[in-house]
Amino acid sequence: MGGFLPPAERRSGVLLGLYAALALFLLLTGEHIPQAALRGAGAWLFAPFDRVVLVVDRLSAAWRENERLHERITRLELETARLRLAGVENARLRDSLRLPAYRTLSLRPVEVLALAGEPIPAAATLSAGAGQGVRLGDAVVTSEGLVGRVGEVYPGLARVVLLTDPNSAVACEVESTGVQGVLRFVTSPRPELLLTGVPMADTVRVGQLVLTSGLSLRYPRGLPVGRVARLARDVSGLTHEIEITPAAGLSRLRHAYVVPGPARPAVDGAGGTR
Amino acid sequence: MRVLGALLLLAGVALLIRSTALSVLAARGVIVDVLAFVTVVWALRWGESWGSTFGLVLGLAADLDAAHWLGRHALVLALVGYGVGRLSRALVRDNPLTQLLLLFVAAVAHQAWALTFELGGVAGWRFLLWHVVVSGLVTAPLGVLLLALVRLGSGKSLFSLAAVETTPRT
Repeated sequence: MGGFLPPAERRSGVLLGLYAALALFLLLTGEHIPQAALRGAGAWLFAPFDRVVLVVDRLSAAWRENERLHERITRLELETARLRLAGVENARLRDSLRLPAYRTLSLRPVEVLALAGEPIPAAATLSAGAGQGVRLGDAVVTSEGLVGRVGEVYPGLARVVLLTDPNSAVACEVESTGVQGVLRFVTSPRPELLLTGVPMADTVRVGQLVLTSGLSLRYPRGLPVGRVARLARDVSGLTHEIEITPAAGLSRLRHAYVVPGPARPAVDGAGGTR
Repeated sequence: MRVLGALLLLAGVALLIRSTALSVLAARGVIVDVLAFVTVVWALRWGESWGSTFGLVLGLAADLDAAHWLGRHALVLALVGYGVGRLSRALVRDNPLTQLLLLFVAAVAHQAWALTFELGGVAGWRFLLWHVVVSGLVTAPLGVLLLALVRLGSGKSLFSLAAVETTPRT
């Protein structure tokens, strides 16, 4: 081994060997190493810098967004007046049918500090954490629709598992028809959100709205998730393969709302529990 | 010690830009591989030992941020840092064509390796090929342009005083 290279080059070769061995060791065993605390420390360290970098981007975006929101508020006020009447009517009808009333959602506004994952973001860091009342499992939405759920909570920050995380699964139903399915993100052969488990006997059309289902244990019912973009038969031939376009723009998240989940026994808390 | 401080600072800045400004572009399919870029620049400036060390540190931080497959960025960036550092002795480091080629190869190697994990294999090879090539084609010219601007602004090359160092000095 000794003769070929000068000592300095040999040393750098040994160094690379050590680095490669460490990286390979982590690749093989990394899933068993608790990383949440380290990520929490990293998120805490980067949070102030994230805010500074995002200021310029947010200022220009806020200007454009302001114009759009003014116009939207006007439209929504008109629609709210109409919906208020429909709501009263709906409550009366549900009461007469002895159906339980819908749970009112409270929204906690938060800022999205950073997105993680390339080319499609799979996680986001929020500017609020356990100190602000964010809890593990809370749903996260934008005005367009569902974004994901809180997967890790730290004292002043939280990390959201987006719909585009390969481990995410959301029980959904198709609006108006009530067809049930499970929304999953697949990466192969190309990254896409699929509504799975829908039998071929069920009728689904392109353009239909997909909402969170009442069967979901994690998400409140009726949150918009996306629209049907493409229909095909899956490889088994027994179920539909339904591609969903997400309602929320997951790549341009700036602000979001945390929707507190239903009251549960205290199993979560600060410290990056996953 | 100054080199170590600069290493940590550059790694932090690269990660910050990647998770904020560049994440929007990445989600639209245009991946500017800032990790490969800074690793190449660092390795060209400081040689293979520091190049591989920088690649490992930066890669580990990126792996922690990504939450899955700890070690995938670290391995390929350490190799890129080492390879570029070794090559830098035999190359004219200030030549834009050299920089272009090194950046292209580094970005392609890094993206191909990292995206293979992301896609769960090579089944989605069309998607992988498209993104890897686009990343190389975007990162390389942008990187060369940035290096040229730095040279123009500072009046001297980043690499002109580079010492051929093969062991880290702190």
